[in-house]
Amino acid sequence: MSGEPPRPRRPGGALSSEPRPEETPKNPPVEPKAKPVEALPFLLDFFPLEGAKETRLSRFYERLREGRVSTTRCPRDLELHWPPRTACPKCHSEELEWTDLPEKGRIYSFSAVLAGAPLGMEAEVPYAVGLVDLEGAPLRLFGRIEGRAWNALHVGESVRLEPYALPDGRWFYRFRAAD
Amino acid sequence: MSGRAVAVVGGVTTKWGVRSATWPELAQEVGAALFRAVPELRAEEVDSLFVGAAEPERFAFQSHVAPLAAEQMGVRPHRILQRTELACASGQSAIRSAYAAIASGLSDIAVAVGIEKMNIPSMAEANSSMGCVMDRMWDGPHGATAPPFFAMVAQRHMLEYGTTEEQLAAVSEKNHRFANSNPSAQFHEKSFPRDKLLRLPLIAPPLRLGDCSSMTDGAAAVLLVGEESARRFTDTPAWIRGTGQYSDFHNLAHSGSLTDWVGLKTASREALRRAGIGVHDLDFAEVHDCFSISEIIEYEALGLCGPGEGGRFVADGRSSIGGEIVVNPRGGLLGCGHPLGATGIGQAVEVFHQFARTVPPARQVPDPEWALVHNLSGSANVHSLMVYQRGGAA
Repeated sequence: MSGEPPRPRRPGGALSSEPRPEETPKNPPVEPKAKPVEALPFLLDFFPLEGAKETRLSRFYERLREGRVSTTRCPRDLELHWPPRTACPKCHSEELEWTDLPEKGRIYSFSAVLAGAPLGMEAEVPYAVGLVDLEGAPLRLFGRIEGRAWNALHVGESVRLEPYALPDGRWFYRFRAAD
Repeated sequence: MSGRAVAVVGGVTTKWGVRSATWPELAQEVGAALFRAVPELRAEEVDSLFVGAAEPERFAFQSHVAPLAAEQMGVRPHRILQRTELACASGQSAIRSAYAAIASGLSDIAVAVGIEKMNIPSMAEANSSMGCVMDRMWDGPHGATAPPFFAMVAQRHMLEYGTTEEQLAAVSEKNHRFANSNPSAQFHEKSFPRDKLLRLPLIAPPLRLGDCSSMTDGAAAVLLVGEESARRFTDTPAWIRGTGQYSDFHNLAHSGSLTDWVGLKTASREALRRAGIGVHDLDFAEVHDCFSISEIIEYEALGLCGPGEGGRFVADGRSSIGGEIVVNPRGGLLGCGHPLGATGIGQAVEVFHQFARTVPPARQVPDPEWALVHNLSGSANVHSLMVYQRGGAA
């Protein structure tokens, strides 16, 4: 990342950052919903700053832009981490490597927020969230589930892990249920 | 337990609810109530103050709250002054710290106080504050707060064991009924029969409004002393006989089985072992019913019933007066509200008054000798417990 760190803005806003032409995302970037937004105060914005100036895990967010949701692994003891780390919790090595996560997973449990959303997310209510067992990796990730109404989701069904762009140019990840 | 015995010898709560009062005003109110309730206590004797406060920075824009609380309460601690923060178990942490301080000889007379102001003009901002109890950088951006997490717990329990919405409502109905005889409870005057609870709006399915504890302003305080001075303050000290704690994850990715609360099993075995009793020796328990499903799983993890039997346990009346053990006679978090840092203290206040037989008859446990207090915090990733015994010798 270069230049000024992105100003935190709440999701759902006016502009999205197009992927650069040389990038060929594994997953097509998802267009954000277009609605007017205001920036949240820094300490009320759950989405982190992603640049190399702000975090030692900026590679995670760079890889999101490349269409890859990834994490760190310790080459010494092969421990696969979630969330990605800068030091292995087992052997405390700081020489970690990046690896892509599987795209497919199955819902272990889910619910939805019908009331009581945090500031900046009120317009997204109702939204579904769930714990998803990734296929082929010993990880269960928590995340937003898009693509289907919460009351049409099922425990055990297959969902896809995907990166998406925030209106202000930051990236994050979520799950998507089949249409 | 070895070492110097420690007892809770007095306790008070303010009115809990949506209060027209600021954080410092709640501190003054609970301080005044404590010195009224324990006239033998001189302010200069309080050598230590432990302040349970979960999120004063977020809800009251105030840090360094321990000296603020001391000033508001009119005490000048000269041994240990500190705040304890463990989200929903911040109050319990204050008591555990005071206990450790007195047992070690560092303190002789300590106050553990819990204070939380949660109702602020922006409900959405308050919800964000609750969200930052989770792993804010990874779980927070998905919109994680407590209700959807405990809703997933409930969904798994229903799936694995056939637990029903009616059984969830039975927890809330019981605890609200107890709260009807607790004037300091947030929902003291409100009636929540089961059919009404089942018609309340869904917050995070399958959890409805009545399955969730609320945003509450309130404070509570207990006085703790060493064995040599306990009888100066009361004829019925609540002796701390055991304590236990277990922590096993923070990020939701590591929550493991949502229905088998290994942390509570481990911490409660430890606390009961230290007290030298078994779970069936308990006369009552104040457990952390932040959501109705929590209490159901807590019955199971404590060993009051088998795995998956918690729903039937409450529906059959086995956790109410006349049953095997009275659970949450104070009214629980569901009936009293949940001012995060004050909750664990409020539960200890109930233990003291149950032992002293100074609670209204409708919630008085018959002849109680042993009590357990449990708090979970965050996404049930930490469990903290205390075991108390009534009166008797030190």
